[in-house]
Amino acid sequence: MRDNTIAGLAAIGVLILWEALTYAFQIPELMLPAPSVIAGEFAGESGRLILANTWPTAVQTVSGFAAAALLGIVVATAMVYSDIVRETLYPYLVAFQVIPKIALAPLFVLWLGIGFWSRFAFATFMSFFPIVIALAAGLKDARPEAVRMCAAFGGTKAQIFSQIRFPYAVGYLFAGLKIGATMSIIGVVIGEFITADRGLGYLILWATSRSDTPLVMAAIVVLCALGLGIYGLVVLAERMVNRVYAGG
Amino acid sequence: MPVADTARADGRETRSAFSRNAWRSGWLHLRRILLPTLLGVAVLALWHIAVTRGSVSPIILPPPSRVLGTLWANLPLLREHGYYSAFEALAALAISSALGLLLALVISTSRVVRAAVYPNLLVFELVPKIALAPLFIIWVGTGSESRLLFATFLAFFPVLVATLAGLRATDPMLVRLCQALGASGWQTFSQLRLPYALPYVFSGLKIASVMAMIGIIVGEFITGNQGLGYITMFAASNMETSLMLAAIMLLCIVGVALYGLVAVAESLINRRYGRPRS
Repeated sequence: MRDNTIAGLAAIGVLILWEALTYAFQIPELMLPAPSVIAGEFAGESGRLILANTWPTAVQTVSGFAAAALLGIVVATAMVYSDIVRETLYPYLVAFQVIPKIALAPLFVLWLGIGFWSRFAFATFMSFFPIVIALAAGLKDARPEAVRMCAAFGGTKAQIFSQIRFPYAVGYLFAGLKIGATMSIIGVVIGEFITADRGLGYLILWATSRSDTPLVMAAIVVLCALGLGIYGLVVLAERMVNRVYAGG
Repeated sequence: MPVADTARADGRETRSAFSRNAWRSGWLHLRRILLPTLLGVAVLALWHIAVTRGSVSPIILPPPSRVLGTLWANLPLLREHGYYSAFEALAALAISSALGLLLALVISTSRVVRAAVYPNLLVFELVPKIALAPLFIIWVGTGSESRLLFATFLAFFPVLVATLAGLRATDPMLVRLCQALGASGWQTFSQLRLPYALPYVFSGLKIASVMAMIGIIVGEFITGNQGLGYITMFAASNMETSLMLAAIMLLCIVGVALYGLVAVAESLINRRYGRPRS
């Protein structure tokens, strides 16, 4: 049997076991609702509630992630072309990877208010660092022989970048983007935990305060699906870009 | 020109070229420290000027000096809550690394179990597990153990995934060599598989140290009864921005210390299992 088949079967087995155990031991819904109960949340009133709160979270996550990707590409490119920029910024980029950036969430609320912008900026802030560090490493690691050969044949800086450094760094870039996508959704959820009046993070806390565990679980399921969906888009983009640069 | 003179001239030239290079590399080393320091000083100075010369309200951004003053004035309070945060994060890191390592060893003994678990773990690493924080409040309440459990939960998966990957990373040729030389299963493990897995394990532990800290902070944000995360939120809601910044600063210090602990452990163990030096 292939490994992925075994893994899929195991996941289904866990769901069935979960369902069976909640009935066998009469586990109260407040503690652990059965998967079927959680699935039932997607119908009717609570389904509408989930749908209405998914949209803001998705928009903020995607826009924060896109801004971080753009900013990351610009900064990493600047770092490759200027030693001064690289040496000035690099220690700070590494330091920001290590500190618990999540602690800064209330600061963004203070500066940008409780609306869209604070969560957008915080999501950008969270997902920017893995992207810029990965891409800077990739652009710098481009094979020096290839770079020198291109220069020897009279390639301009722009040509060296587009023909050698960037194709070489694409794998690194996407590794960074994958982490960045997860970070962006984490940033949005934290933002929604501490301030928002809508969004899935808000819905989760609201349902928690009403002891509505099935709704909490259903919202978490949607959030996870959203995270996987955005990750899937990044993987898809990677395939397409790789096809462009394939054969080189 | 006599041969000796040529040699002397060459020597002089090499020496002066050498000293030029020494100067240059010395300057490059210095620059690497100087530039980031300059940026840091410039940001602090700009921050200070922007606030003291009036254009930015101290509620939005208090000057650095006031943040330090608040830190000093509230030291007993911050120290007490800092202890909670640091202790819980450290405990979460310790428990999750022990559990992660142990479970990885158990799982990797069976191919079928590994195949059943590993792909699901990879998917689970992609979802925003932070959203599960409120569930821990439902299950365990709002006390210290709830945050500890949540942080352990977050930090556990990176250790498990990294160790599983690491135990797979052994060069199969070397495994066969060990078997051919009649090494026991334990010898193969302790002499070969474990040293091979260590870099993976430590990269997992480093992520875990950051995740443990994140778990504690998020827990303190939403349960709100103790810890520096609680102080941060409390100060934010009271508009005491300098107290908020002081608490955030301490959280960052605790986070870096926790990460540093893992890095130190790694360098100690690397010395023990020192890789062959080339």
